[in-house]
Amino acid sequence: MLDIEDLSVVIRRPGRQVAALSNVSFSVAPGEVVGLVGESGGGKSMVARAIVGMLPSGSHATGRVGFDGADVLRMDAAALAKHRGRGAAICFQNPRGALSPTRTVGRQLIDRLVTHQGMSGDRAVESAAELFASVGIRNPGQRLRAYPHELSGGMAQRVMISLAAGCAPSLLIADEPTTGLDVTLTAEILRQFRHAADTDGRGVLLISHDLASIAEVCDRVVVLYAGTVVETGPAAKVLREPAHPYTRALLRSVPDVGGGRVVATAGGMPLLTAAPHDCPFAPRCAHATDVCRTTRPETEKLADGWSLACFHPQEAPLSVVNAEKSDNAATEAGRIVLRVEDAHVVYRSRFGSGGHHALRGVSLELRTGETLGVVGESGCGKSTLAKLIMGLVEPSAGAVAVAGKDVRKRSRVERTRAQMVFQDPIGSLSPRRTVADSIAEPLRAAKVSTADRARRVEAALGRMELDDSILTRYPHELSGGQAQRIGIARALVGEPDLIVFDEPTSALDVTVQAQILEVIADVAADAGHGSVFISHDLATVRGFADRVVVLYLGRVVEEGPVDEVFDHPRHPYTRALLGSAPRLGATRAADVQLVKDLDEADAATGCALAARCPFVTDTCRSQEQTLQPYGESRAACWRVPELPALIGKSDS
Amino acid sequence: MADPQLAPVVIGGGDRDRRFARALIYVGGAILVVAALAAVFAPLLSKWGPTEIDPAGTLATPGGAHLLGTDGNGMDVWSRVLHAARIDLGIAVCAVALAVVVGTLLGLLAGYLGGWVDDVLMRIVDIFQAFPTFILALAVAALLGDGFGNLVLTIAAVNAPAYARLVRAEVRTLREMAYIEAAKTSGASMFGILWRHLLPNSLTPVRVIAPLNCGWAMLTLAGLSFLGLGVTVPTAEWGSMISLGTSDVVAGRWWTSVPPGLALLVCVLGFSLLGEGLQERADAKRR
Repeated sequence: MLDIEDLSVVIRRPGRQVAALSNVSFSVAPGEVVGLVGESGGGKSMVARAIVGMLPSGSHATGRVGFDGADVLRMDAAALAKHRGRGAAICFQNPRGALSPTRTVGRQLIDRLVTHQGMSGDRAVESAAELFASVGIRNPGQRLRAYPHELSGGMAQRVMISLAAGCAPSLLIADEPTTGLDVTLTAEILRQFRHAADTDGRGVLLISHDLASIAEVCDRVVVLYAGTVVETGPAAKVLREPAHPYTRALLRSVPDVGGGRVVATAGGMPLLTAAPHDCPFAPRCAHATDVCRTTRPETEKLADGWSLACFHPQEAPLSVVNAEKSDNAATEAGRIVLRVEDAHVVYRSRFGSGGHHALRGVSLELRTGETLGVVGESGCGKSTLAKLIMGLVEPSAGAVAVAGKDVRKRSRVERTRAQMVFQDPIGSLSPRRTVADSIAEPLRAAKVSTADRARRVEAALGRMELDDSILTRYPHELSGGQAQRIGIARALVGEPDLIVFDEPTSALDVTVQAQILEVIADVAADAGHGSVFISHDLATVRGFADRVVVLYLGRVVEEGPVDEVFDHPRHPYTRALLGSAPRLGATRAADVQLVKDLDEADAATGCALAARCPFVTDTCRSQEQTLQPYGESRAACWRVPELPALIGKSDS
Repeated sequence: MADPQLAPVVIGGGDRDRRFARALIYVGGAILVVAALAAVFAPLLSKWGPTEIDPAGTLATPGGAHLLGTDGNGMDVWSRVLHAARIDLGIAVCAVALAVVVGTLLGLLAGYLGGWVDDVLMRIVDIFQAFPTFILALAVAALLGDGFGNLVLTIAAVNAPAYARLVRAEVRTLREMAYIEAAKTSGASMFGILWRHLLPNSLTPVRVIAPLNCGWAMLTLAGLSFLGLGVTVPTAEWGSMISLGTSDVVAGRWWTSVPPGLALLVCVLGFSLLGEGLQERADAKRR
């Protein structure tokens, strides 16, 4: 159905030229789900744009984008309009941004049905409700009247899918459909795409940087690197025994909830100005030889439907190296650097009463040399906890002390004892300050002399394996990975008692994420300070945290040593989280499935999870649950001892 | 392989906005440079002094001893138009500079501190902005009187509130940025955050608005002078020259009012083009 042949796109603008795609060929058949994977800048979105005939200005395209016999690149405006509606429809990455904010989502869907399907008004309303129901929206009639801002991220993405699917396109393109969604939702949204292919016989092209999450639903996978297709093949083959070194590097960079070790590949993706005459991956490749650096490898067939462009295909299945646990003997001797006692945070709304209760009684303790992982879905209070520890928000009840000092009563110098590494690496550096200036900021507050400052900045930079020449640069001249290293150097430079990492890798590409995780693991192992590592991605925490706490709606629902919590989760929420976390190897079905989306849950009384828990009883709804010891962990659920039996029953 | 005979598909466009922006900046900038040079070298470019009276006659026609003739007082129009550029450009630029400094300072404080400081400052700004700009300028000018310094103060006073509002809005967005939190957790003092982080980053829109504002400031000054509240005869100023020449136009003596009018128009246009170009460039960068 979709058949891309030798597609090359060069974008020419005065002063620069980018070879966005070079000789890309692949196809999608009806009823097939194809994954298009690779890091940002690899050309994934450019492929999507070419398919719907929306290449950016300044593009020079050669080759063919065949779609049901026609060539999309050479269609006129009328043919394109028809093609975009009925031929190929696209689901954007940011669903809330792609929905018009002033019209109800029902209106937007019905309009499309009337225009593209030629339905009558009443018929369109009916089938809109059916479409909503088919993508898993409860109460479709009511949701049709909702405005985009009234929907949660997951709900908005479902609406997007129904919009795209509503015109009955033969090809559905989804550009990073699950980025920014929580793990429990990701699995659900991806199932919708599989469903569209299986029941309606549509072709689906899933674009993602995250191999692990799409692995389960794809039939075939196309791997892009620097605008070239490096490997194409059946998902099972490519993901288990990848032959191209880049695919292997990509897979090894993905942290695994099972505890597999991340292996980072140095370097970054090149920006090509013309179609390459060598293997673009050669500079980063461990198997590269002279031929790779002088000749571009042809795409060769390896087996049926499996082809790759490499002179040195690898054969061995990808082995999982289990991380050897560092001994935590030093932990016992460490002094306490962070103590949070029964802290509550309420964000008051500016107008009128009410407010948002972001944290409801959290207690923590951390010693030097220790790393505490904090996990939970968006809205659970992770970031509020980070701000609370840093003194950026005040507790409305309870107390927070860093290095024995109440955070509310600290001097300027004492404030620098706790440092934070932020989620947005470039945004956390002042745009009009040089790198040297940014790193030295904590030292300035501590009144360190200028000469001493320069020396310590250089030392911190050296530890990040960055060159001195970067010191005079500005944030917009840095890559994400470089900027995050600067952020970590800034946190380290004042030798603080505590470093808080707030989602430090979630804005980075997979291979860069692996590099940064290695740096953080090294920093977190220092005996001089304690670390708090906050993440929505369970797998990244498993790598190097000693203990982990699971947050849900502002409460700690489970807490314990990291291996204990991951291998033997107690609380139903922890079980659900772990069950839906994507895994590359053996697919593990979730043993607990939550019944609703987070935004529909109400946490006014009783157990916070009561509205979503499949094992809920009247006791859960009426009684607040507190942390109880179960083995080495503690969990806030009274039914923990009965759970294994209950789960067994629901399986049968 | 695809059919090699298929020609590449080219999608047009590219960099038109950026080139357009650059052209605007160059043209506007060139006009202003010429105007500034004319102001600086005015004594060298004219035989007559701006207030020198030619005993040979009033209302002399252009050509001959006087390039653009003389006005009703027998003063050389060409010389006066050139010398007036010193007053008009000088007051406009000084007034906008003062407005930017004061407005930015108030905006920074209001935006960062919030609370009652914000409330008090913004209500004062509201009072200023509740009057039509020109009416307010008339009132302030009447209160302060004329003279270079007072006119700078008058025009700065009517323009500063807009900058206070602009910078305040910018700061309220910026203070939530991660790098401000990073500065706080790095132990930066309030002064350090304001001076080192918020000030340089909040000036972006100011840089675009200020040149446009210089053009409006010149119009305000000329308007005040036209009504007799700004610069008064014999000092050379375009607005007062136009005012003086209006009655001559009826009698067919265009040269006393048209040249200062054109000079004003060209300078305001220069500022507008420059401001417009900067705006376009900022937009093109954002895309």
